[in-house]
Amino acid sequence: MSSQRLLAFGLRFYITVFFLYLFLPLMVMAAATFNDSRFPTITPWDGTTLRWFGELAADGGMWQALSNSLLVAAGVLCLAVPIGIACALFLNTVSSRGKPFIYALILSPLLTPGVIIGISTLIFWRQFGVSGGIFLTVLGQATFIAAYVMLMVMARLQRFDRTMERAALDLGASQWQMFRRILLPYLKPAILSAAVIAFLQSFENYNTTLFVVGYDTTLTVYIASKVRTGLTPAVNALGLILILITVALAIAYEVKRRREQAALARLARV
Amino acid sequence: MDGSVKLDEVVMRFGDFTAIERTSLEIASGEFFSFLGPSGCGKTTILNMISGFLTPSDGQVMIGGEPMAGVPVNHRPTAMIFQNLALFPLMTVYENIEFGLEVRGVDKRKRREASERLLALVALEGSGSKLVTELSGGQKQRIAIARALAVEPRVLLLDEPLSALDLKLRQHMRAELKAIQRKTGITFIYITHDQGEALTMSDRVAVMSAGRIQQVTDPMTLYRAPLTGFVASFVGENNRLEVKVVDRQGPRVRLDGGALGPLMGSAGEDVVLANGQAAALYVRPEHLRPVDDGYTGPRLETTIEAVHFEGAWLMLETRLDASGEKLRVQLGSDLAKQAAGMLEPGRQVGFGYDPEEAVVLPDDGSPVVDEATGEVVETSAKGEAEAGGAHVSSA
Amino acid sequence: MFRQLSERFGHPLAMAILTLLGMWLIVMVTLPQLQMIDYSFRPNLLPAQRGGPEDGWTLGNYVTLFDNEIHRAIFFKTLWSSVLVTLLTLVVSYPLAYYLAKVATPRQAALCILLLIIPFWINEILRTYSWFIILAFRGPLNEILLALGLIERPIRFLSGDAGVMVGMVYAYILFMVFPLYNAIESLDDNQIRAARDLGAGSIRTHRRIVIPHAKPGIATGCIMTFMLAAGSYAVPALLGSPGSRWFTQIIYNWFFEGGNWNQGAAYAFLLLVLCIGFMSLVMKFFKVGLGDIAK
Repeated sequence: MSSQRLLAFGLRFYITVFFLYLFLPLMVMAAATFNDSRFPTITPWDGTTLRWFGELAADGGMWQALSNSLLVAAGVLCLAVPIGIACALFLNTVSSRGKPFIYALILSPLLTPGVIIGISTLIFWRQFGVSGGIFLTVLGQATFIAAYVMLMVMARLQRFDRTMERAALDLGASQWQMFRRILLPYLKPAILSAAVIAFLQSFENYNTTLFVVGYDTTLTVYIASKVRTGLTPAVNALGLILILITVALAIAYEVKRRREQAALARLARV
Repeated sequence: MDGSVKLDEVVMRFGDFTAIERTSLEIASGEFFSFLGPSGCGKTTILNMISGFLTPSDGQVMIGGEPMAGVPVNHRPTAMIFQNLALFPLMTVYENIEFGLEVRGVDKRKRREASERLLALVALEGSGSKLVTELSGGQKQRIAIARALAVEPRVLLLDEPLSALDLKLRQHMRAELKAIQRKTGITFIYITHDQGEALTMSDRVAVMSAGRIQQVTDPMTLYRAPLTGFVASFVGENNRLEVKVVDRQGPRVRLDGGALGPLMGSAGEDVVLANGQAAALYVRPEHLRPVDDGYTGPRLETTIEAVHFEGAWLMLETRLDASGEKLRVQLGSDLAKQAAGMLEPGRQVGFGYDPEEAVVLPDDGSPVVDEATGEVVETSAKGEAEAGGAHVSSA
Repeated sequence: MFRQLSERFGHPLAMAILTLLGMWLIVMVTLPQLQMIDYSFRPNLLPAQRGGPEDGWTLGNYVTLFDNEIHRAIFFKTLWSSVLVTLLTLVVSYPLAYYLAKVATPRQAALCILLLIIPFWINEILRTYSWFIILAFRGPLNEILLALGLIERPIRFLSGDAGVMVGMVYAYILFMVFPLYNAIESLDDNQIRAARDLGAGSIRTHRRIVIPHAKPGIATGCIMTFMLAAGSYAVPALLGSPGSRWFTQIIYNWFFEGGNWNQGAAYAFLLLVLCIGFMSLVMKFFKVGLGDIAK
């Protein structure tokens, strides 16, 4: 019995250490924002300051990169979300001999390294005279983000009771009306979640973007270049802001997800 | 508004499997018509052909005299109540009921008028703004009916809609469905495996087995004069005795029960029996009564094995002394009271019956009975082939 | 395929679905990959030479790699380090996934999962950058070690592969934890109890009951982690030094410094083959199919 207890204690200790390992680096980075030192560090502590936020705000390159990132993310959403939904509808509807092959093809972008998606996109579009930039970044990112959207929409679609479709048709709805009024509202929560994930994936993507972004800069590429060259704690200030936004988003998303699950549980009881 | 439905030489095949053998049938406008049969007998397939979810492999469906070939589900004058109801969970009661009108482009004011009228019909006034997830099982049932009626169908198709409800509610809803059918005058086509539902609500019932209609008639006739062994066993409870035909005079048939001795039964006009032919005699448990030694009619000597008190009646499990076969006997409480001392396990009792109430049919093989539930599952293939075809088109 | 789609959704929508799917699969997924492969088998020519006598398929770009000792070494180091990162991540993640799935109360598990998701949603660059600060020559880790008297002089963590690997474990751990968690979670608690009841110790219970059940999760986690590690550019670029280059960095250099896209394409294709090879191996070893991975 005591060895069992020791094991349980060991596990708990491990979990604590793990979460420290997960969060300490982020805390160190956040703390370094407020250190009045020319380099981003917490040792030695040269006094507390907020000036790095000011420097960040005055950095025109950062604002340009941010607006590019938002532009790219918007483009990716417009492309990847419809494609992902179409994929899920296709896989949920079609059953034919070619399906396993198409399924493998649909999943392949998830299992391909991001750099390779970037490279192949770059090479493919060169023959049409398109070189790296915002447009290719959108295409490259959407290539694999669409597959993520598919997975999330698919998960919900598989729980859909198709009698609803039959009922709608039986009541005189056209297939389009059925889709608009029954299926799409049912999928809406999954589509919204997928859109949030797609946005984040796009916003923070580096490996693919690096190869297709050309002379433009997204925020992630900008941060990476700052880290490698002119490094100041302004990068930390930017990181801290992004972390705070992310945490807020994550919590909002989680709250929404839990509400949905509670609603779903209510539906299941019906 | 002609809500008649006609199946004209309809066949349904799925690959090599024939779900519905060639079938013809006419259902009158305004009729409450049921398809009764065990699961897998093809009754849902027929419903799906009428609603348009399936296209017959051969033959055609006609509604109100118009052929339905090429008319898709959403353009047929039918509406379906689904087994799981299929109410739209993300919509309110109003939105559910008005859905069919909305997709037809009816304006909002008229839609609301219609849904209020229907809510009154199903006695759920004032609950239009609720979400369907807030309703009880019986309320959902009614909303499903209201939703289907909203599109003013000529034919309402009901696919075992009561099976999800508990017993009390189910019995209550039977009466309600029947009342709604009378009030609206719409043709109701009802699918069920529950004979109680079929017998209590229907004007006519079609009993189905293995893709064939076995018999189509009113509930009383179905119970009293089954035309096939399957119907005799499936509808109500029946004791089946194997006999040989001795001779026949009008409806009265004299039988040779082998070890059971001479027996008597009756047969309908359409039942063909040759002298000396192997046949089956069906005697319902409630038609048997204990008789004393002076009784001269046909009698069955048994030994009681078990006695079950069921409130309004007694159910006896007995065994025939001559053949060792089981015989079930149901006695009303007055009869049970009279014979009180005799009815104990181990006692030998003779039972008699009125030959007019015992049905003789050609021997079409024993029905397959589910060991666990005692329910009839399917008749043997041989019985199908002989018994099924002759009566299908008689409707 | 079109028939089934149009029966369910009607012609226009079926058309739209197939168009979107086809456009994506052909123009964005398949053709670019094929083009990359085609590129890798062609020599790097000036525009004027295209279509000329020298324009043809050749293995030259692959020969270059095998002739280049440094590149070859980096390729194998990338392979080996990625395997190591994968194993390390698996070892670190397993107890956590088990705790979340089987030990923690539902409330605890929900909280932990939220805590896990938050860093997962934060930029990979930022996560890596935070380690850059910690591991710096004058960073907090060195200061602590110095203060504790464990070392006499600060260590250059950022000049070897160790820093890169620590950063990678940190960056990709969640891709391992979640598949593991999902797999272990679906194991019936009674099986664990039954094994305990039958006298199996903890280790045996894990080896005989939990781990075999979690196979699809382990396979998925390993495939994802390996693919991310081998294909990572950010982590080695930030935490590595010129002496600890990653294969992706070589590829990048061919494209944007060497200006030889054909050579770069060949290297990229090899990286892809490496990942596909690892994936097939893992799938064969754990006897799982593609369908299991997509969950």
